[in-house]
This record gives sequence, structure tokens and C-alpha cells, in this order.
Amino acid sequence: MSGLSLDATQLDRYSRHIIMDEVGPEGQKRLLDGRVLVVGAGGLGAPVVQYLAAAGVGELVVVDDDVVERSNLQRQVIHADADVGVPKAESAKAFVERLNPDVTVEAHETRLDRENAESLVADCDAVVDASDNFRTRYLVNDVARLAGVPVAHGAIYKFEGQATTLVPGGPCYRCLFPEAPEPGEVPDCATTGVLGVLPGVLGTIQATEAVKLLLGAGDPLSGRLLFYDALEMSFETVPYRQNPDCPVCGDDPIDSIERVEYTGGCGIAD
Amino acid sequence: MDVTVEVVGEGEETLAVDDDATYAELARAAGYSPHEVSVLVDGTPVPEDGTVTAERVTLLRLIKGG
Repeated sequence: MSGLSLDATQLDRYSRHIIMDEVGPEGQKRLLDGRVLVVGAGGLGAPVVQYLAAAGVGELVVVDDDVVERSNLQRQVIHADADVGVPKAESAKAFVERLNPDVTVEAHETRLDRENAESLVADCDAVVDASDNFRTRYLVNDVARLAGVPVAHGAIYKFEGQATTLVPGGPCYRCLFPEAPEPGEVPDCATTGVLGVLPGVLGTIQATEAVKLLLGAGDPLSGRLLFYDALEMSFETVPYRQNPDCPVCGDDPIDSIERVEYTGGCGIAD
Repeated sequence: MDVTVEVVGEGEETLAVDDDATYAELARAAGYSPHEVSVLVDGTPVPEDGTVTAERVTLLRLIKGG
């Protein structure tokens, strides 16, 4: 593949990518040919959509069933005051259309659930989990792993965040957190609050991982959980391993999500 | 027995637990519900009803916000 497959406008737009050996015109073409599922267009999803679109990731599939609320605007940077009341997936699509004509957005104004998850993940090169609930997180993990698609995971709480990348062949989310807590045991941002800039830090880490996965560059954040503390301004890396007893990626893995209960602990029926 | 507990993001402390204490009891002794943390030994979660045998564990809190 040569640089000639990019037009003059693209060569200009992506020149700071193309000049790097790790990207080059071939890498930029891979980004333009890439298809990434972004689950959630809220705090984490906003910077993910923003940076993946700016980078020229050609197809973004954005799934979110919420509408923009004024209380979102302190951190969800792709949505504006005029978007209050607009579905977030639609607002994300409009944002990208203003940012980069090379990128198409497939907007789904729905919640990712067991009925649509497999079709949404299929044909994607990577998934970014920017969801805000455990049911979706476990579902994303399970469906993506069964499909062999890597996931850039992120989660936030008040002043802290976690990120890790779940690559086929490496540990999955269940290797780290075998079961979800019961509803209400772990507070959400609406209850506790969240520093507005926090999802910007974690979301851009997730976007970085997605871009690296598409490029095949560097080392993914696999088998490592990155913990960020904004108050301490510190990062900590927690290593973790693939669990042989993991029902999704262990020695005796499931072959479908049919027996998984995405309620309570998101466990798998015997 | 004495167990060194590192809570990611919070630091570490050494706790004295009964010889037959479970990892769930260890998590509670550290101030957390066993359902809101993953107890890791050498990078792998251990069952919450398992008896504590490790001298050092890592507690990782589950967070869900997005």
C-alpha cells in the first residue's frame, strides 16, 4: 500500500501521523479502513469519539440509549448546550460530521444488550468500553472475546480511573473481576460526582489503545490495569494474569453467551 | 497470621487475621465489602470463601462509571 492511496487532503490532514515511522501512510490507511465500536457516548465515550474521529478511524459505531442532559456538559465534551435533549448517539454523529469528513458514524440510539451485542461487535476491529454499568461491561467483555475482538476498557469514579486492554489470548475482564457486584453495591457518578476532566484522561488512554490496536504498534495494556489518581496525580500499574478457571477465556470456555445471566453478578449458569 | 494488604490507590497495611480466616473476611478487615473488590494473589483473583494462605494480597476496587 503506498501513500498514493491517500488523497492530497488526507496527506495534509494526517501529515503528523504519516511522518512517523510507526504510522506512515500504511498505518494511516489502516486507521481509515478501521471500524471501532464505541459503547457509550458519555464521559469516556466523548473523548474516545473525538480522538478516534480526529485520527481518521474510518467507521465508528456509536451505541448509547441516553439523551444529552445539561449535567453531562461539564465532562462530555462532544455535546453542547444546544444538544440538550438530543440522543447522545445522534449528537456524537453530528460532532464527527463537523470534525472529519473521512469518518462515518453508525449511530445506534439503543442500549447494547444480549440481543444486539453480537451483531454490533461483528466486523469491528476493536471495541472501546465506555459504558457506565456492570451488565454492559460483562456483556461487552464476553461477546468481544467470543468474537476475537480486542476491548479497550475504562472506568471512572470521582477522582480516579482504571484502564486495561483485553486482547484475545490474554486475560479478560472476568480474569480480573470474576463477578459483578450486586446492583447498588458500587456507587455511580450521579451519586458520588465525578471530576469533569477525569474521563478526558481515561478516555484518551482508551482511544490511544484503540489506535495502537488498529496500527499494530507498541504494546497493548494487556495483563496490566492502569490506575489513575487525579488528586495524587499518580499512575499505578497492577499486573494480572489469565485465570485458567475463567469461564470466558480459561481452560474450558463458553462458546456462546446463551447461559450467561446479565443480572446480579453476571454469572454463568451451570 | 499477618497479611500485607495493598489497596490499589490507597496504600498498604498489615492486618492480623485468624488462621482460618477467609479472603472475604480479610477484605472486610481492610474495610471493604468482598463484593466491591477483587482480591488478587500474584495477579489472579482468589475465591472469597477461600482460606487466606497468602502473606500478601492486592485489593482492587470495582468501579463502573463511564
